[in-house]
Amino acid sequence: MTTAQQPDPLTQPDSATRRALVTGWLLLAFSLPLGLTLEALHAMKVQVYLGSELRRHLWTLAHAHGNLLGMLCLVFGALGPRIAPAPARRARLATWLAVGAVAMPLGFLLGGVLNSESDPSLGIVLVPFGGLVLLIVLLAAAVAALGGEAADKP
Amino acid sequence: MFVTATLRLAHDPIAAAADHELLHRHGGYVGSATCKACHPDHHASWRATHHAQMTQLPSDTTVRGAFDGRKVDYAGDHARPFREHGRFLIDVPTQSPEARGRRTAEVALLVGSRRYQQYFEKQPRGDSIAFVRLPILWHIEQQRWLHLNTVFLGPDDSDWHKNAATWNENCIFCHNTGPEPRIRDSLGSRAMVAQFDSEVAELGISCESCHGPGADHAAGRQNPFTRYSQHFGSSADPTIVHPDRLDQERSVAACGQCHGARLPNPLSRIDDWFTTGPTYRPGDKLLDHVTPIVRDTPVGGGGDPELFALRFWGDGTPRLTAYELQGVLASPCYTKGPMTCGSCHAMHEGDPKGQLRPDRLGNTMCTQCHEAIGRDVQAHTHHDPTGSGSSCVECHMPKVVYGVLEIHRSHRIENPDAARDAEAGRPHACTLCHTDRSLPWAAEHLQRWWGPAYRMPTRRADGAPLELPDAIASLHAGDAAARAVYAAAIGRDTTAPSADATATQRAHLAVAMGDGYPSVRWLAQRSLMQLEQRAPIGLSPLLRAVDSMDGPEARSRAVYATLDALMRFGTQKLQPPVSGALLGADLRLDLRAVVRLTDLQGRNLISIGE
Repeated sequence: MTTAQQPDPLTQPDSATRRALVTGWLLLAFSLPLGLTLEALHAMKVQVYLGSELRRHLWTLAHAHGNLLGMLCLVFGALGPRIAPAPARRARLATWLAVGAVAMPLGFLLGGVLNSESDPSLGIVLVPFGGLVLLIVLLAAAVAALGGEAADKP
Repeated sequence: MFVTATLRLAHDPIAAAADHELLHRHGGYVGSATCKACHPDHHASWRATHHAQMTQLPSDTTVRGAFDGRKVDYAGDHARPFREHGRFLIDVPTQSPEARGRRTAEVALLVGSRRYQQYFEKQPRGDSIAFVRLPILWHIEQQRWLHLNTVFLGPDDSDWHKNAATWNENCIFCHNTGPEPRIRDSLGSRAMVAQFDSEVAELGISCESCHGPGADHAAGRQNPFTRYSQHFGSSADPTIVHPDRLDQERSVAACGQCHGARLPNPLSRIDDWFTTGPTYRPGDKLLDHVTPIVRDTPVGGGGDPELFALRFWGDGTPRLTAYELQGVLASPCYTKGPMTCGSCHAMHEGDPKGQLRPDRLGNTMCTQCHEAIGRDVQAHTHHDPTGSGSSCVECHMPKVVYGVLEIHRSHRIENPDAARDAEAGRPHACTLCHTDRSLPWAAEHLQRWWGPAYRMPTRRADGAPLELPDAIASLHAGDAAARAVYAAAIGRDTTAPSADATATQRAHLAVAMGDGYPSVRWLAQRSLMQLEQRAPIGLSPLLRAVDSMDGPEARSRAVYATLDALMRFGTQKLQPPVSGALLGADLRLDLRAVVRLTDLQGRNLISIGE
């Protein structure tokens, strides 16, 4: 008697895992060149960038958060089945992880566009939104990783 | 809780910035550290200006002078600046004329940031302290020490402590933000004995000097919703002043509160000034608080009746720095046009030297309004459009203002007029460049180009012959201000005669190196060196050895040695001198005629401190 073989989520990623991996790679693909761009703006002494301390701060944060959150997505893509074995929960976590991971660097980036000297532009609202989403995702992942769900639960 | 605890325990730069016995937080002042939190870029651009460094506490980074233990000689005595245990000390002669001795003064305060840096020590006055100026200063550009007596517009004086001014009742007003002298005694008993509890909101000229006290603004803008509604709204923020958005009178007042010597209005407010400080705040009408000093301002209290008049040329044009407001108020560009200080100056951009707007350098300062002239400059100037003769400011804002051992542009913007200037004893724009020409020559050109409204001069205020080149006549016969102006002008690279055609000017500058006013000597020596750099004839070694602080014998030797060298080297290397300028073809100076001119100085003695 043969039984239908379940795909191994560690070797054959499901859609949730793929979503996390794609998001991670895309974030890195965006954030690494952003870092190079910022270096170039420094090198060429571009006043629009160097002249605004707030803009420099925000775009540096966009670069750093994009890279770190991109790597977090890759980690989730690699370890997602171990963190959240249940596919449905894993899919939800992957979706919201992607939302939070994109929102934060994007908020920092947009906050430094058309900003005043004292305050970021309204794009900055994406940052607390993304941060809150990520916080919830991390808590949910922690709960899932603590064994709150059965490994074989669909 | 963690965040709150951290914020409480961590270093607070804003509180630290106010943590000094000299600083207060009265009257709504919060200090520039508070402004920096939201305006880092404007803070950084301000920080780079000389305003920011106008008054400082001594430290390794703020002290510019060489405290290297070397002696600074002047008038038979000396000072010795040195360091000990990190402190900045100056060994100086004692002040008491009876007990000639020496003492060590510790530098406690620095004033000045661009031209020179002055040093103040703390002196106990009962249970209070006063900051008293020490007798030597550091010339930043020349990187050398000078005695105070040699930088102001006054004659040689061997009194080492003649200029020992008290910061608490002088410098405090215009070199700091939110000054409160807090003199304890009545004004009648001040001078060198008064007691003070002086405080300022910030040392130096900071944000709130021009934008007004910022407490309401800072408190009101802590709420992000208030800030964003301001960003997206169109109304001005009523809690802070932006000088460029004020009406013309109020805008000029923000600068004029310091750049315009003044008396309280009414005068009875003087006691308030010396206790809680000047009452003007940015956004106010300045004339509601002060009366700018003009040539005819009466001197009260039995003081020298010429005290104020000496600060102006005969026609009322200011001739000292810190009278820029008076110049602007008398300018048609202000009285009939829209000009404000911000038309040409910017406080947060451009070169800190002069703080001119980088988008309006050169003639665009003027042609922003005088567009038609800008379209064909030569038709207006009758000079090469690329040369200094076509520079608006050379003719309409000539350098006729003395201050900080330098000659600055007049801020009274007006047309040159040879007859007016001759009668007022005032340097004339044309002859500041055409140093080989007389005032009638200038008047003849003005008449030819601009019509008979320009009169021919009939006499010179200094009594010198009209037919002499104005620069030469003024250099010898003018009062000290005129002599200083021409001593500086002759060496400039904007002058009309080429450097190898200045035998006459060099000979007369050599004589001016023996002037009785050290500041005139300094400027004459500098001009000679500038001419020598452009057309060297071998005077440089001689000139380098000359020092404006030298005594009369050394000065006399330097003058004769320079004249002798000029005769020996100049005949070969310089063009023949202009006729009628008291110099023969062999470059021998008619010293008798020169002495007749210098004798005319006797009725023009002036002495003006800073």
